[in-house]
Order: sequence, then C-alpha cells, then structure tokens
Amino acid sequence: MKAIKGILMTCDPAVKQILLFFNEDHSFIIEDLDDYHVVIRADEERKVRSMLEAKLESNTYSLEG
Amino acid sequence: MAVDDTVPQVKKEHVLLPFLQTLNQTTLTSLYKRPSSCLSIFRLLSSLERQIILNLLWLESAITTSTLAAWVIREAKPLYDDALSTLSRLHVLPTGSGKLALNPTFKAAFRQAIAGGGSGGSFGVPAAEHKDDGRSGANTTVLDEYALERWETILHYMVSSGTDDRTRRPPEPSPGVRFLLKTSGLMQEVYGSLRISSVGFQFLLYSPHEQLWHLLLQYLHLADQRRMDLVDVLSFLFMLSTMELGREYSVQNLTKTQSAMLEDLRDYGLIWQRKQSSRRFSPTRLSTTLTSSSPPLPTKTGDSSGPQEGFIILETNYRIYAYTDNPLQTAVLNLFTSLKYRFPNLVVGSITRESVKKALMNGITADQIISYLFTHAHPNMRKNNPLLPVTVQDQIRLWELEKNRLKSREGYLYTDFASQADYELVLKYAKELDIVLWENAAKRCFFGTLEGHPIIKSFIERRSTG
Amino acid sequence: MDDHGTLLAVVLDLSPQQWHRAANDPQPLSLDAFLSQLLAFLNAHVACMHENTLAVFGAFPGKSVMLYASTDQLEPSSITVDANSYPPFKLLDTAVVTRIAAELDALDDSHDEEEVPCALVGALTKALCYVNRISATPQPTDGSQGVPPQVDPRILILSVSPDLSASYIPIMNAIFSAQKLKVTIDACQIYGGETVFLQQAAHLSGGSYLLLEHRDALLQYLTMSFLPPPSIRKILAVPTQDRIDFRAACFCHKNIVDIGYVCSVCLSIFCKPSPVCSTCRTKFPIKTLQRLNALRAPSAIDSGRPSPAPSNAPTPTATGINTHERTPSLARRTQSQQSPGAADGFPSGSGAPNRTVSSGGLPHSSAIGVHRNGRPNGS
Repeated sequence: MKAIKGILMTCDPAVKQILLFFNEDHSFIIEDLDDYHVVIRADEERKVRSMLEAKLESNTYSLEG
Repeated sequence: MAVDDTVPQVKKEHVLLPFLQTLNQTTLTSLYKRPSSCLSIFRLLSSLERQIILNLLWLESAITTSTLAAWVIREAKPLYDDALSTLSRLHVLPTGSGKLALNPTFKAAFRQAIAGGGSGGSFGVPAAEHKDDGRSGANTTVLDEYALERWETILHYMVSSGTDDRTRRPPEPSPGVRFLLKTSGLMQEVYGSLRISSVGFQFLLYSPHEQLWHLLLQYLHLADQRRMDLVDVLSFLFMLSTMELGREYSVQNLTKTQSAMLEDLRDYGLIWQRKQSSRRFSPTRLSTTLTSSSPPLPTKTGDSSGPQEGFIILETNYRIYAYTDNPLQTAVLNLFTSLKYRFPNLVVGSITRESVKKALMNGITADQIISYLFTHAHPNMRKNNPLLPVTVQDQIRLWELEKNRLKSREGYLYTDFASQADYELVLKYAKELDIVLWENAAKRCFFGTLEGHPIIKSFIERRSTG
Repeated sequence: MDDHGTLLAVVLDLSPQQWHRAANDPQPLSLDAFLSQLLAFLNAHVACMHENTLAVFGAFPGKSVMLYASTDQLEPSSITVDANSYPPFKLLDTAVVTRIAAELDALDDSHDEEEVPCALVGALTKALCYVNRISATPQPTDGSQGVPPQVDPRILILSVSPDLSASYIPIMNAIFSAQKLKVTIDACQIYGGETVFLQQAAHLSGGSYLLLEHRDALLQYLTMSFLPPPSIRKILAVPTQDRIDFRAACFCHKNIVDIGYVCSVCLSIFCKPSPVCSTCRTKFPIKTLQRLNALRAPSAIDSGRPSPAPSNAPTPTATGINTHERTPSLARRTQSQQSPGAADGFPSGSGAPNRTVSSGGLPHSSAIGVHRNGRPNGS
C-alpha cells in the first residue's frame, strides 16, 4: 500500500471543474477522488486558492465594476 | 415586540460563569461569604438554576436527588441535569452524595441578602452626607455622560486603529486600558502601533453589555499576574452591580486590592470620582447594570450625539440609512457597509459584496452583521415582519458561504492496498481513532488527517513485521 | 428565551378579623409571621432579575390600596441605605410594612362594630388596571421608544377570607379582563376552606390554585408554586387542580348554586325559574316556566338538600318580577352594588351551607343547566 501526503479539498462540483481546468496548465492534483473531493499537492494550496479567487471574482457581476 | 425568528436568539450562558467554574472551591466559598456576591452570581444564572436555588434556600435539611428531580417534567430532564451540573461546578450545590443541599456558606449569605441582616457591609458603605461646603455628588446625568465618554473613547480608539487615516486620531485611552486591549487580543501590535485584531472587529459588533463583560473578564484573567486578590476583585465588581445609581459610597471599607482597582474602573467608566484622591466614589450605569440586561449606557432620543438604541433603516435594495451623527457608530457601520453620503444627522450607505467581503476578511461573521443590524434597527423598522429584509439577510449569508467554497485539510491519502481485507482492517482501525476524512471502498482508498498519520504508519509497520 | 423581566402583582387579603382567626388557629399564622415570609418571597422575585417588576395591593375591609409599585420609585434619598442590605429590597420592605401598618391603624377606630367584607375584588381590579397601564405604555427609562416592554404579567392573590358570593359577577368580570390581557392569576388560600371563585380565577387564566395545608411552610409553598415565571412553569411540575369547583352564583340572590337556570338569550344565571330575565328582559314562555316549576318542586325534596331560599314559596319569582319592573336594565348592577344589604336577607355566611352541598358528588362541570331532564331523577 501507499500513503501520499497532500491536502484534501472539499468543494462543490462547480469549483471542482474550475480546479480541473487549472490543473491542465499547472498540474497540482494528486488524485481526483469524487465530485466533491480532490487531493492536491501540499505546497500548492495558496496558489490554487488565489487562482480560484481571481476566477470567481471575474465571474461575479459587480455594480461598481 | 414581535420576536423575529430569523435571528436565532439562543439564550447563552453568561460569559462570567465559565470563568467562575474554573475557580477552586476555596476561592468560590470565600466569595460566597458576601451576600452581594451571592445575589449577583444568582442573577447571572438561568431561570431554572435560579429556581432550583430558591427551592432549596429555605430548607434546613438536605433532600434526596429524586425528590427534586420529580419536580421537573420528564421532557425537561436534560435541561434540569444541565442546571444541576452548572450549579455543582460553581460549588453552589454539591452533587454526588445522593442528597441535595446548598453550599452552607452560600445559603447563609444568600438568605441574608434576601431577608436582610448581617454586618459584612457587602452592599457598599454609603458616604456620609456632604457637609455644607458646596460640593455635591454627581447626579445621574453627569455620571451617564462620564461613562459614555470613557466607553466611547475605548471603542473609538479601537475602530480608528483599523483605518489608515492617521490624521484624525481620536484621543487615546489611558495606558492601563491600552494594555488590557492588547493582552486580551482585541488589538495587536503591528509595527510599533496597536491595530485592531479580528477578535476586536467582532468585539465591536457585540452589545455594550457583552463588550463590558468581555473586557472585565480579561481584567480578571490579569488579576493574578498583577498580584491582585481575585476574590477582592470579583466581590468589588459584584458590589458595584448591587449599588444604587446616583449615590455616593465611601472608600473606607475597601481592601488594598479594591482601592487599587478604583483607578482602572475609573478609566473604563465604571465609577466616577471627583478627583483621584477622593474618599468617595459613585458607580455609573455601566456598573449598576452589570448583572442585568438593561442598557448599560444611557440612551438618548434627542439630537445629541449619544448612541440611540435604534437608528438603522435597511431597505430591500441593500441601502442603509443610519440616523446618527456619532462618529463611533459611523465607524462601526463602515466595517461592513460602503458609506456614500454623510449629512449632519444621517449617514447613507449600502451593503455591497465588497463591503461584506471586507468585513468577512476581518473575521466578522455574517450572523454578527445581521444581529448588529437587528439590534440597532430603527423603531420604524420594528413594524416590519421580519424585521430585516429577507433578501438582504440571505445575501449576506450567501456571501459568507461563497468565501468558504473551498475547504482544505492536510493529511495523507492511503491507497493501493494489497487486499480488500487489508483495506478494511486499516480503515476500521483508523475509524476507531476518528481520523478518517474521506473514504471510498470501490477505489479502496481513504484520506486520514495529518495528526493520525504516525499512528497509522506504526500500525501498518507492526502488521507487516508481525 | 427567558431573559426579560416579569411583572408580578400581589393582592393581599388583609382582613383583620380573618387574620385574628388565623393567628388563633390550631395551626397559627400571625399577620407578622405572614408578612416576614411574604417579604422574603417578594425579595426573591426582585432578586431573580434586575428587570423584574413588582406591585403589591392590599385589600382592607371596604377599601383597597396600592401598597408598593417598583415602577413608581421613591426618591433614592428618601430611605437611609445601610451597607448590609440591597437598596431595592430595603425600599420594598419598608414601603410594604409601613403602609400596611398605617392602613390597619386607620381602620381600627372606624370599623369596630361589624364585619365589613374585604375589598378583594377592588384590589384585584386595581392590580389589573396597573398591569394594563404598565403593559400598554412604554417605560420612559427603557431605550426602545414606542415598543411596550415585554412584562409577562401575572397576579398572585393571597387570600384568607371565604368566598363572598356577592362578588361573583365582579370577580368573573375581572377574570375575563385578565384573560384578555393575558394575565395569569395565581391564587393561594392561606386560611379557611376552599374558595370556589379563586379556583375558577386560577383555572380560567392558566394559573395555579393552592389551598395551604401546612401554614408553617408558607414561604416554601410560595417559592415553589408561585415564584417561577410562566416561561419556566412549562417544564416544572407546578401544582394544578384536578378538581375545580365550577359553581356559579345566581344573579338574583348571589347564592352559589349547584343547579341554576340560565337565560337562553344572555346566559344570566338564576337560582329559580323566573318569567322574565332580569338582565336582558327576555320573556320566557309561560309553558316552559310551568314545566320548570313543576320539575323543581319534587326534585328539591328528592335530593333532600336545603334550597338557598325556602322552596315553593311564591316570593322568588316575585322578586325577579319586582326588580324587573323597577329598573329593568340596571337590575343586575344595582343589586351587586347593594350587595351587603342584599346579603343580609340571607343566612349570614352564605358560603358555608353551600359547601355541604358541594360534597354531594355532583359533577362540577355540568352543574349548571336549564335542562333539568339531564338530571338522573328528572325523568
């Protein structure tokens, strides 16, 4: 058997699709578990989060923006 | 007033009680010697706990546990058990012997509080009438203004430390207060100056009563460090809470610790003294309402700058109209709204995604924002049911959820098990330790926490070697 | 949510005669002993929460007085504060004791000769008015303008006198206003036998009624039964009544009756059939009247119970007609005002003979009815 160190990400399917999209360029996903869970490399979390933040932000309609 | 059920009004335990429960029996018993302390602690308890105490108060002998338990209906048994264990941890009602009787010290002092008598002077020695030298004690108005000014100085100091506008700095509170704010974690030192922390932001949205106790609790935690007698500190606070507003008390019976406290309490606005060396002091509304839920700060309805109970109007289009000219309230609103216009008595702004996000980043929760809006709603808003527009409430909560779309936990993924039996054995072991975050039998793998890894590792090693 | 104060209005029955009797009972309870236990109870109520409010009303012979109200604060400087007592307790105790003493002193020289009934209803009505005032008007000290404070009002009646049958109508009216105001009425009979009216008052307003058995444990009874605010009574086993005496007093003679005649139009109760309802002036068909009178005579003899007034006498119907002819619409009110005089016409202490009747085993809830056929021996 194997034990792999990583970070378990719990999210909704939409966010997971975005993560998969990022993974095509950056490849940080260790294991795609199911619709709600992925395991990513432990040192990539900050980067993933900030990328996701920017993506979600660009998808938000803002009155002022 | 129609109680809006969209805001959960869960009856919380008073913040002081968990602290009191950490004290040992000797400390508590010497605290219970004073009738005023008993009365004040009694008031902090829940209504069922109070009733239990009163039921047992006038009994001379102990009664069996079952006798008292029979007095509560079966459905309320959990509540009753809860109440008993709280009282037991406070050492008011020792349990465990099968018989129930109040702590004798508490019983004697509390009986004295109710029925009068005794000679401990625990309710404060009133100062003698002034001689005709023209000086008179402070009246209620003076006391209220003083308390308000002190308290707002503290809050305003906290709020303004969060902004970068260094030009309009409010007056700083005394070093003692600043030290307390820092040690309590409400503010933290950043580049040599105190900045408000995320706990501090949450603190600002508390009711004044909660804020006061929060600070006093920190004060109590510091008591040991400052070599103050905890019993003296507590009993002085309790004594203040039973005193009468607008009356002057003499300092002659105070202990050394208590005399030292006068200065601190003056800084917090809890007591008023004509001058530092004065032999008498007057409690302000902040201290006389310590054990009640009446507003601890005077509320004004006129056009003066005192905080009004209700001043916020929130519309379904997220616009917020705040009828206030109080800089503190404006600053607090600014924590989660984007302010647009400012008029002499009115501030207009709106709740936006950005403004709420900023608040969430500061550690403020959606529920805190909603409950702040709820408690400060303008009287005209009170006619609405529900009081706050549902759309706005929901949206604030959705914004909070949006922030938490991604949750992460570090750990280890266990996979490639040799056999199904192997997998099940390890999984069963891990489950017993409660470290499994995710599992999938079809893929024959599971995810365990970081903390659990060494245990799993040694478990597998033992198995493979043995 | 139980963190708002409650309003407790206490109505004290302070009839000197009854207290004199209570003090000389085999199980004595003097007024002084009662007051000291009462004050401990009142202090306990105030102690429970800073927001709890309290009002005390005294019922004296022919007079009712408000003794204390926590909302009408005296000047703080008007009492001397000592370091060993909580100022509000001291204020309360002093006010109640001195007012009672003053009122009793004033009574002594005026009423010696005869027993004037205690103005319990008057005190109860004053308590209701007070509750209404407090719950209707926002308190100025309270910050929330325009919003009446939640007071959760309740009234506790501590009575030592037997039922005064003449006060049936005013008591019922008070009960109905209490229901309307959502006021709970608790009642405790400290001395003397059961009282029908207080039982009904407690039952109809959702309160509890207690006939004190051990007078020396008064404070314990008060604390356990009447101190819990309504919000936590739901989870406590507070004493409830398993048997309630639902008997009413007739409108014509103010007697407590087991079986009465009810006007089918306005529901007024009469102890005897009458051709015209004295309240709403409805004329009943002569045939019904004859039938009722016919049924009445044998059954009264059957059960062998003493009628409130001599049976078969022509007078009862006559009185009914008379009152009607004199002042048709005001008949009921004038009678109740003349109650002491009217009561004189009947054996004194009219409550006592009726009590023996109550043990006759009649189902209390169905005691009132025009349909005499409902009775077992009616057919």
